Amino acid sequence: MGKSRISNNIRKLRFFHNEMTQQQLAEKVGVTRQTIIAMEQDKYSPSLELAFRIAHVFTVPLEEVFSYEAPEDGK
Amino acid sequence: MSFQQRNITVSLVTFILILGFYLLRIFQLLQSDTFTSTNIFRLWGIIIILAIVATIVLTILAHIGSAIVQVIKTGDENPKIEDIQDERDKLIDLRGTQITYLASSLGVLVAMLTFVFGQPPLVMFSLLVFFGLLAQIIGDFSRLMLYRRGF
Repeated sequence: MGKSRISNNIRKLRFFHNEMTQQQLAEKVGVTRQTIIAMEQDKYSPSLELAFRIAHVFTVPLEEVFSYEAPEDGK
Repeated sequence: MSFQQRNITVSLVTFILILGFYLLRIFQLLQSDTFTSTNIFRLWGIIIILAIVATIVLTILAHIGSAIVQVIKTGDENPKIEDIQDERDKLIDLRGTQITYLASSLGVLVAMLTFVFGQPPLVMFSLLVFFGLLAQIIGDFSRLMLYRRGF
């Protein structure tokens, strides 16, 4: 639980897309605003499908939205 | 607070009240020396019906209440209520159900153990309902915690 190893740039991408609101993004990708909030706070790692949907909304590759930080022991 | 969280809170409060009522009735039966199978099974019936009816009625009232609050807040006559259940809601619900089943299973085990200690079957039946209600409360509480802490 808590902070995930997957971080994202959703907040930044929303800003560069005419200050898109969390509600607008939530409606575009078919989730609740609470899920967008949880993702922005790195409290929820979305499914692969939702991750692609978000990247599609911002018309950027997946890696520009999400990044994965591997643990130090490499597991 | 989201639509799902509101529903869980309603369920949590409902089951806490039902558990309180159940414990009060058990205490009254023990005090008046009427802890008999007839009274216990009647109480079982009351608790089950109460749980179904109260959950339905309170959920409807919560929907109406949240719609009224939304109208007052936004001034919109047709407020948009976010009642969809997305993937995160489903995962949290699933985890909550797992915790409910785990707590319920442990409760059944503890209830069965009363036989080992030579208690009459009525004690076991009373504990079954108690742990069933408690498991529901633990499950709802864990769902709320998962919404707050992240999942």
